[in-house]
Amino acid sequence: MQIDPVTRELIYNALRTIADNMVVSVIRTSRSTVVKQNLDFSTGIHLADAQLAVQGLSLPLHLGAMQPALNGILARHGDNLHPGDILISNDPYEGASHLNDIFMYKPVFSDGRLIAFMCVISHHTDMGGRVAGGNATDSMEIFQEGFRIPPLKVYEEGRPNETFFALFEKQVRVPDKVLGDFRGQVAAVNIAEQEMHKLIEDWGADTVAVYMQELVDHAERLTRASIAELPDGEAEFTDYMDDNGMGIGPVRFQVKLTKKGDEMLIDWTGTSEQNGGALNPNFACTQSCTWAALRTVLSPDIPTNAGFYKPITVTAPEGCFLNPVFPAALGARGAAGYRVRHTVMGLLAQYLPDRMQACPGGSEFAIAIGGYYKDRTPFMTLEFHNTTGIGGGPDRDGQDAGPFSIGNLANTPMELVETEGPVMFERYAFIKDSEGAGEWRGGLGIVREYRFLADEQTVQVRSDRAFNPPWGLFGGKAGRGQHNTLNPDTAPESLPTKFIRVLKREDVFRAEMPGAGGYGDPWTRDPELVAEDVRQDKMTLEHVREAYGVVIDPATLEVDRAGTDKLRARGPAG
Amino acid sequence: MTDYRLGVDIGGTFTDILLIAADGTVHTRKVLSTPDDYSRAIEEGVAALLADLGVPASTIREFSHGTTVATNAIIERKGVRVALVATEGFRDVLELARFRVPKLYDLNFRKPPALVERRLRFELPERILASGAVRRPLDMAAVDALAERLKTEKVDAIAVCFMNSYVNDAHEQAAARRLQELLPGIPVTASTDLVPQIQEYERTTTTVVNAYIRPVVESYVRALAARMRDIGVEVPLMIMQSSGGILSAERVAKSPAFIIESGPAAGVVGAQRVGAKTGLEDLMVLDMGGTTAKASLIEDGAYNLSPDIEVGGDTSASHRLIQGSGYIVQFPTIDIAEVGAGGGSIAWVDAGGGLKVGPHSAGAAPGPVCYGLGGTEPTVTDANLILGYLNPGALVGGDLKVDYKAAEDALVRLGKRVGMDTVAVAHGIHRIANATMMRALAAVSSERGRDPRQFDLLAMGGNGGVHAVGLAQALGIRRISVPPVAGLFSALGLLFADVEHLMISAYYRELQLIAPEDFNARIEPVWDELDTLLSAEGFSGGGQRDIRAYVDIKYVGQASSLTVPFARYPVDADAVAAAAEAFAQEHMRTYGYRSDGERLQVVSLRVVGRGVPLEPRVPDRVARAAETRVEEGTRDAFFGGDHGWVSAAVLPRSALAGGVRKGPLIVEEYDTTTVVPPGWRASLDSWNNIVLEREDA
Repeated sequence: MQIDPVTRELIYNALRTIADNMVVSVIRTSRSTVVKQNLDFSTGIHLADAQLAVQGLSLPLHLGAMQPALNGILARHGDNLHPGDILISNDPYEGASHLNDIFMYKPVFSDGRLIAFMCVISHHTDMGGRVAGGNATDSMEIFQEGFRIPPLKVYEEGRPNETFFALFEKQVRVPDKVLGDFRGQVAAVNIAEQEMHKLIEDWGADTVAVYMQELVDHAERLTRASIAELPDGEAEFTDYMDDNGMGIGPVRFQVKLTKKGDEMLIDWTGTSEQNGGALNPNFACTQSCTWAALRTVLSPDIPTNAGFYKPITVTAPEGCFLNPVFPAALGARGAAGYRVRHTVMGLLAQYLPDRMQACPGGSEFAIAIGGYYKDRTPFMTLEFHNTTGIGGGPDRDGQDAGPFSIGNLANTPMELVETEGPVMFERYAFIKDSEGAGEWRGGLGIVREYRFLADEQTVQVRSDRAFNPPWGLFGGKAGRGQHNTLNPDTAPESLPTKFIRVLKREDVFRAEMPGAGGYGDPWTRDPELVAEDVRQDKMTLEHVREAYGVVIDPATLEVDRAGTDKLRARGPAG
Repeated sequence: MTDYRLGVDIGGTFTDILLIAADGTVHTRKVLSTPDDYSRAIEEGVAALLADLGVPASTIREFSHGTTVATNAIIERKGVRVALVATEGFRDVLELARFRVPKLYDLNFRKPPALVERRLRFELPERILASGAVRRPLDMAAVDALAERLKTEKVDAIAVCFMNSYVNDAHEQAAARRLQELLPGIPVTASTDLVPQIQEYERTTTTVVNAYIRPVVESYVRALAARMRDIGVEVPLMIMQSSGGILSAERVAKSPAFIIESGPAAGVVGAQRVGAKTGLEDLMVLDMGGTTAKASLIEDGAYNLSPDIEVGGDTSASHRLIQGSGYIVQFPTIDIAEVGAGGGSIAWVDAGGGLKVGPHSAGAAPGPVCYGLGGTEPTVTDANLILGYLNPGALVGGDLKVDYKAAEDALVRLGKRVGMDTVAVAHGIHRIANATMMRALAAVSSERGRDPRQFDLLAMGGNGGVHAVGLAQALGIRRISVPPVAGLFSALGLLFADVEHLMISAYYRELQLIAPEDFNARIEPVWDELDTLLSAEGFSGGGQRDIRAYVDIKYVGQASSLTVPFARYPVDADAVAAAAEAFAQEHMRTYGYRSDGERLQVVSLRVVGRGVPLEPRVPDRVARAAETRVEEGTRDAFFGGDHGWVSAAVLPRSALAGGVRKGPLIVEEYDTTTVVPPGWRASLDSWNNIVLEREDA
């Protein structure tokens, strides 16, 4: 079939509309905050051979996740698919990601021929297991993390698998939310299947199949062209997590890039071995996060599909922290997924120093608060605050509370949290003097402070970067690290970055999240910019003197030129 | 002497001025906007139009206005110096915002800066819980001290927004009142004066936006009124709100955040009124202009309202569901989906040899290549010209000469890059633009579970009639209306809208715990206030004040609420039960399920007061006064598929009065063109809409 660029664009638009309709359908029907507010789900459309053809609104973490999970499903059911089937999996050892993400696929047939799969991945609030929300960092094996679903049919030729639904309902803490969201996923793939049939009716099955493949090939051409524009070369970078989720650390993230012609190789050899804990991401997640970070230096016109993946090879030795083997726990792998992205950003900064920023702020902070009211009805609050602000450089400051463009998790409105559970907030604010200093400074750190109002609640926290704060570049300093404190104003107790505790009524938990890294020598920063931060109450006089060598007149809050010149001539202390 | 009603809509580039007589005769003028002082173009344009007609300004008995002044003040950051007052611990909520990324993978994305810098954000000791209970009383001494401090900061406006004030506004109102007492010259806006809704960031930024543009809009309104008086237009100035009702300029000036979508709202209201007049209750509305296309849905005779709007958002964002590129304003806003496809959208070739259209636009300057104003990149308009859809000699009724050769050359160059001949590439551009617009139409229909085939299409904007049939065919729609004055339709819609006051008050309590008297006690003062207001505005006759009460309900613990009406006021137990049932039904329709065992949470009460005019707002027929500048003839046009090049009759709208004509036809008018391909037929309805129908329909 001769490829016509107009037909390709028309079919591409139609498929995008179908993928977007799935997105909207999921939002409309979902019952959980994590889906509605955080948009923690993704949609896509695959070719019959599992290649991803089109992705709807999707989390970067899911960028490359859909294809491996579908391969897992095809391995078990590939020769036994029928119209009306709906298949799911959440088993990372058969291609899925972590237990809370349920991958759902519906095959689309035309005259008995398999044409496509419709896909919706949704993060579910709870999947059972030893800790509500499934984000515990110190699990040893996946068996502790909840309900593991191998690839199986939840609908067979349109008939629901009642055994599965009966079992599922008993495994999760908040079945109305989880089953409600699950039904939303089902509704979305059903609607998408109908729309796909209409597309096939309009264009013919052959044309649709040929052009879905052409979309993949086109994306590959765009990706290769974009890679070819970058210089050939090699680069390396290392970043660390404080520990593996069980207090053992640091965990080394070691990456090397080799770029030649129109291909890239990203190799994670040298990364720490897998050694327990639930932070390690499975390899599909490592790959997705690597690809996501690379996208920042490639053409924004490249659609995400199987063609984008082909020219970029990602490898990680089996059994390392970024490619763990069974039965590693993976529940909190989102945190390491961020570290993968940071490490690749650092790698790209070595390779393309005039294009990249220092490390974004934040510690992949997540909190789950669960318990029971007096009448034994459950409550559960789950919040993610993965990043705080943008790193400095290469030609401007990192924005305070600037959103991280390789992760799109929104925060949750405090008023919503307060209506949904026995929690109130005492503070949500910038932390003064917490930026990574630099010629271009990083964004400030952020404090969020919780007061608990039930007699008892189990509080589980995942955070990091207390000992390996967000790094600076080219002389820029790291941001201030994570600090967790219980009852800071009454009986302060420092808490580790990762913990599970039962807390009492009126206990207060203060989470101080890291600032972003700075870029370039802070002692060369324009003193006027420094003074402005002081006037805005974002920095103190003492801090700017020490970190930037800038003297500010305390009465006028203007730069003391003479004092600054003198101090800067002497250089930083130590 | 005939009297007129005046509608003026300011768009990005042009200001549209329209006069309509009681018999529906319309006179228009399109003039360049004057961004340094938008009221100048209005004064000059109105004066010129009156002079053309040779009638005095005293013949104008109504003046209704849609304006981008509020929006532009925000986008161009021309508001005033605002102080924000927040609950202790939360002054940074405004700058922290929501961490949404509208453009994934773009490291250079920066969210728009907070409209109040940190040094002007202040905190007061107080705290109200989600239940409405007071956890910490408001410290009035601290309010007084803050007032002193604010005197030295020389702020022009103050915004007050406290945590959970949407449940219990006592602290916020007390603080705002006290600040206003102590600082009489500085306007104070409390969040609960506007729309008391949950979500602290969104409510705070709404309040701040309002405070930020209030003095700007106030002075604009004053200047415009003065200019109009100078030319003898004495009638009160009415302004369109985002929700589709008009209000007196004095009231709008206090809540300018509510006129953000003024112009686009007027277009949808116009479509809805025309639909009601011609028996079309279910309409998809498409407005295709120069840079974007907008879609909205009218169902059972009503348009949809969405709970908020993002100002200064970016239509080229990677996904329209991800907000974060602009400022959120919480106010019921006519739901309009916008995509970057207009006549000026540029066609280009990507690195993989793919043909793309938009979202970059040549805008009005330099504009399409065929305008001959310096544009070099081919646009949708250039493609439509080559296809024979647009007049190859001149556009805008002869006012704009067309450089056909330049457009053709540009398309030849583009065609070579994708290996297509000129006509094929032009037709490709036309169809790809349609595909992009389909996404907007899908956003308001199939994404909400609505089947587009159940709707008629109403096409407006300068380019709506050129693309309408292609879109209708793709959507399975069998009938299209192209109204008269389609290119200035918002200016017309302004004159069909009713005066409408919307009052929302927070009332956060479980429905089961509320007695009907409790509802009545809260509704009564607002009801009476609206009744008095409407009377004072001239709606004093019997039946002229249409006041209705609504309640916003959600399931306990749910994020968003739905609005349902009370069947009567005073409310009784039956009316409460009926509202609960209406909520469950609407929930089923919107979210796909109802959950009858769950407890219901009342969030707020709304009272809407509409002024019912004695004379009908919409005439029985609308026609442009001078409509016959088009010479009838024929032109070859390309329709692809089985048709290829076909000779099409070219005619003015009035020529359709003779009866049904079969396509191919091209209907040319001053401000719009309607293309009727083979297989479709065209006629005029009683209101003077062009009605296009499929031959097999």
